[in-house]
Amino acid sequence: MPKPILTINNLTKTYGKNVIFQHLDLTVNEGDTIVIIGPSGTGKSTLLRCVNLLTRPNEGQIWLDDLEITAKGTDEDQVRQHIGMVFQNFLLFNHLTALGNVKLGLTKVKHMSDEAATDKAMKELSRVGLADRADHYPGQLSGGQQQRVAIARALAMDPRVMLFDEPTSALDPELIGEVLEVMRQLAMDGMTMLVVTHEMGFAREVADRIVFMEKGYIVEEGSPDEMFNHPKFDRTREFLWKITELYGKKEKEAK
Amino acid sequence: MKKYLLLAVALLLVGAILVGCASEPTSVLDKIQKAKKVSVGTSADYPPYEYVDDAGNKTGFDIELMEEIAKRMGLELEWVDMPFDSLVAAVASGKLDMSISCFNYDEERDKTVDFSEAYYTTEDAFVVTSAFSGTIVAPEDVAGFKVGVQSGTVQDDWLTTNLVTPGLLPEANLSRYERVDQAALDLANGRIDVLMGDYVPIQALVAQNPDLQVVYHGELSTGPINIVLPDGDTALKAEVDRIIKELQAEGFIDQLAVKYFSE
Amino acid sequence: MDFGQFISYIASGTVYTVGVTLIALPSGLLIGTILALFYVYGGKVAARVMNLYSTIFRGIPPLVLLFILFFAVSKGINLSAFLAGSLSLGMVSSAYQMEIVRGALLSVSGDQLMAARAIGLSRLQAIRYVVLPQAVRLAIPPWSNEAAIIIKDSSLVYALGVPEILRRAQLIGASSQKYLLAYLSAAIIYFLLVSLTTRLLNRLENKLSIPSHP
Repeated sequence: MPKPILTINNLTKTYGKNVIFQHLDLTVNEGDTIVIIGPSGTGKSTLLRCVNLLTRPNEGQIWLDDLEITAKGTDEDQVRQHIGMVFQNFLLFNHLTALGNVKLGLTKVKHMSDEAATDKAMKELSRVGLADRADHYPGQLSGGQQQRVAIARALAMDPRVMLFDEPTSALDPELIGEVLEVMRQLAMDGMTMLVVTHEMGFAREVADRIVFMEKGYIVEEGSPDEMFNHPKFDRTREFLWKITELYGKKEKEAK
Repeated sequence: MKKYLLLAVALLLVGAILVGCASEPTSVLDKIQKAKKVSVGTSADYPPYEYVDDAGNKTGFDIELMEEIAKRMGLELEWVDMPFDSLVAAVASGKLDMSISCFNYDEERDKTVDFSEAYYTTEDAFVVTSAFSGTIVAPEDVAGFKVGVQSGTVQDDWLTTNLVTPGLLPEANLSRYERVDQAALDLANGRIDVLMGDYVPIQALVAQNPDLQVVYHGELSTGPINIVLPDGDTALKAEVDRIIKELQAEGFIDQLAVKYFSE
Repeated sequence: MDFGQFISYIASGTVYTVGVTLIALPSGLLIGTILALFYVYGGKVAARVMNLYSTIFRGIPPLVLLFILFFAVSKGINLSAFLAGSLSLGMVSSAYQMEIVRGALLSVSGDQLMAARAIGLSRLQAIRYVVLPQAVRLAIPPWSNEAAIIIKDSSLVYALGVPEILRRAQLIGASSQKYLLAYLSAAIIYFLLVSLTTRLLNRLENKLSIPSHP
């Protein structure tokens, strides 16, 4: 019986008069890789930010394992240690080296000794293939390298679930591959992942489930095979066809 | 909301100032006798009354006089040099025990400080450059020209009261300076036509600069010069006055005048 | 007249100029940084109060503040001319430095803060370990400017009787009638002080700069 790590129940988020999304239900089981797709501006990023409590939903609850993290009085900092997040713009700490970036959470939040933190940080940097760049600053790294460091930074905290907010959208086409490869390997290693992306190849190959969101609702969700080959809704088929067209074009460009 | 906060802060500042002003009458004489030290203010930019020699030591008529007075009071003298404008306020607020700086008696000043007996008498003088083409026979004649004066002095008051206020000298033609030497510079470069000041320092200026000449001197605003003392301390005044009389009787002050005022 | 004595009399005021600066500048930095943190991270009410502080101390001529502190307020607590002058300048500087630090904090993108929170750092830790180190580097150029201003503004304490460079130039100029020489000497000394300071701060800026594009 698969164990749910993340349970999202009846989640609603409004901003003034605008409804970003409403009555969302989503369950993420241990080891799942869930890919969320949909047109821009449908609240996908906002959903991720609700999950790690960077934003508060207006209605609904979110559970991480057995803890309702949306409950009043939750220690948000504590919760965020267990949820890793990778941003579209990498957001590495500019004044620290790659190693420094990965170590910061270990020394200041987990209170590890400098030695232990360095060890662990180097392990994670090796995992993403950047051990030899440990002493480089973000300004000295390519976009793809920066994003991989960002992934290492999030992984170092040993999170229960990893959130990816359009991780390759800000990258040059040639650099996308190295990041997706890291993510694919992570999924293979059994990490629970919630990914917002336009990368259909990744979705098709790596996702356990694909969730299609539009206008603040989940239109449909299912396995890649279901979604691509037998979608229940026309809108789903329309969107996937359009974006695969686009993806096809992108593939040609990258070659 | 911002206005009320500003008002509150302004009130706080005023309150602090008022607290500062509400002083209990303390005897300065007692204080300096206990400490065996007196702090005296002067504005050492006024030769030959008070100035600095080449080595930077204070010297001058007022300086030597005050040092003798302190000696006879059995006190160590601590000089504090300050711009002339600040001296009266400093004595009034207790920052200085007294001040000597060629002060003439002035009613306005008397409201916040006291004066000793006169220790010397001076005159006013008007000085021009050789380029001056006008005629000055009576002091009021300067109203027709551009006049310079040191601000806050009795000469400043005299010019303001007697020439500016009645409308004889336009305000724009009266230039006030922080120090006499600044005024002298402007006189030399023609920004002002006439400089009014104390006769003695003006004589010193003329001695150094042959282009200058005194066109009039006499007692207009000046006259006796006094030491400025804290308000209401009658015991201190009595003591200082006593010593001044002593020094006058001994001829000490006349000797100083010869030393510093003759050409 | 001994030229050497002349110059050294004026130059001996340097110790007061440096003294005033060494009190005013660091105290301005300490207070300014604390206030800036409140301004940026303290919420609406704090921001309003800080704004008021800034408006007041940048709106009063420093000389006026010096007089208020020396003649009026310090009758209760006896402050020497040197201290009254230094502290007044420190207060004025703190308002300008608050604006400098505030600008630097705001220039560090808010996303940096968000990324720091995302790995579990508390708000305070995020400000301390991520935002402030980056803000410091941004603040150095305008701070170098403020340092130069304080060195020059230190001359204002002459009005309270502190025998610093400018006052000494005035005195010896008046007694020797060599005004131009006196003021030129003073100007050169100030120029040297400011140049030295600016150069040191440039070195600091280079040392702290974050490498990019190998």
